[in-house]
Amino acid sequence: MNDIKIWKHFNRESLYECYQCARCTGSCPAMEVAPAFGPRETILKCIGLGHEQVVEDERLWLCCTCNVCEDRCPQKIPIGDLLVALRNSAARRGNIPGRLAMAVELLAKTGRSMIVHQLDGMRAHHGLAPLPAAPVDELQKILRKAGLHQIVEF
Amino acid sequence: MKYALFLGCAIPIKYPGFEAVTRLVCERLGIELVDLPFSCCPPTTSLKLVHYDSWLALAARNICLAEEQGLDVLTLCSGCVNTLKEANHVLKQNEAKKKRVNRILEDTNHCFQGSVQVTHILDVLYQDSVVERIIKEKSRDIPLRIGCHYGCHYFRPPKVMYPDELSDAESYVPVRMDHLLSIIGVEPIEYSRKFLCCGSPLGANVDQDAGYAITRQKLGYIQERDIQGVSVICPSCFEQFDMGQIVLAKKSKERPKTPIFYLTQLIGLALGLSPKEVGLDVHRVKARKLLEETGIGWQ
Repeated sequence: MNDIKIWKHFNRESLYECYQCARCTGSCPAMEVAPAFGPRETILKCIGLGHEQVVEDERLWLCCTCNVCEDRCPQKIPIGDLLVALRNSAARRGNIPGRLAMAVELLAKTGRSMIVHQLDGMRAHHGLAPLPAAPVDELQKILRKAGLHQIVEF
Repeated sequence: MKYALFLGCAIPIKYPGFEAVTRLVCERLGIELVDLPFSCCPPTTSLKLVHYDSWLALAARNICLAEEQGLDVLTLCSGCVNTLKEANHVLKQNEAKKKRVNRILEDTNHCFQGSVQVTHILDVLYQDSVVERIIKEKSRDIPLRIGCHYGCHYFRPPKVMYPDELSDAESYVPVRMDHLLSIIGVEPIEYSRKFLCCGSPLGANVDQDAGYAITRQKLGYIQERDIQGVSVICPSCFEQFDMGQIVLAKKSKERPKTPIFYLTQLIGLALGLSPKEVGLDVHRVKARKLLEETGIGWQ
């Protein structure tokens, strides 16, 4: 199965709906604390320089995925879809933050997003039975058929 | 009323107290929960950004398990509800994506039909019949001034999360937690930038310090009002505020002072459960003094 292509997941024409009002960027929590592009600049770069310029830059990942940008866009541009598509493309080229790559590897290897450590005692403290293991073989079969192993080894 | 209980990862692994109290509260309110061999949701903040097709397929498998039992899915986390509701929405609307996903799932004997709904514990408790039951079962009021934090993924994007309740500007401003808590005697308090992110995804994926910088901002807005505690409906938001106050205190020497509650803990207290039974004993920011001062007590 092919990975999603950027302009299949997000209609390229929608980029031209943007009139650079920057309401998105003014609302972006990541912009306040980190040298992020912000949605406005991301769209401008995609139009002016091509999306390759964006997906090769690690600042693309400075984002909370809170979707407030899309919520406040007066043009109703589906910015969330654009950011997902761009990051999928970045990951395919190997531009993926170390912490995130580790999280995805953990998920693929264990079927969970958290490391299970001394869990039984903690659950017993709250009167709960041990947590059954996730069906890892079945999950990995699905993830391989979907093509995740081409992006992150597991 | 019967649901497939989707625990996710953070709750059963990091905060099993939330799982325990939610099971107790649901039992008291006549909500039957069924456990199924679900996996990670998987997160909208991790796998979806790296490989959309894997995200969609794994989410579809989880929904299929509930479909095979004819049950709607009940989630306890803003992240889980976002993933499962969006995947359900996309697969119900987009025939091509549904076909692709079902081709991936066929080797494992699942087939997405689109026959169930995905919901969140807040929306389940908010139903009229459950509210009536809470009022009937309630044995005490919880007279705390609480600021509610919903978690971005619980309601954004609104066109996917609450398509039937959009405002004229096609947005959605959540109020259900504030309303629900007011029936157990809580005074919900408004505060600046109530819908600002907690900072968790930025911290988890890229830069822990930047994530906590957002948390500090948000806590500042909360603490400038006369708020005694915060209620959340997401374990990631909880960790960011609870653990976050300890981490930030090490940098600024300011004492952690705002206890954080998971919604069903407050409901459980109103139903007469003790603070320990609702799992408050393991929180990093201690609620004991506040509960004793406000007459709820600690025993």
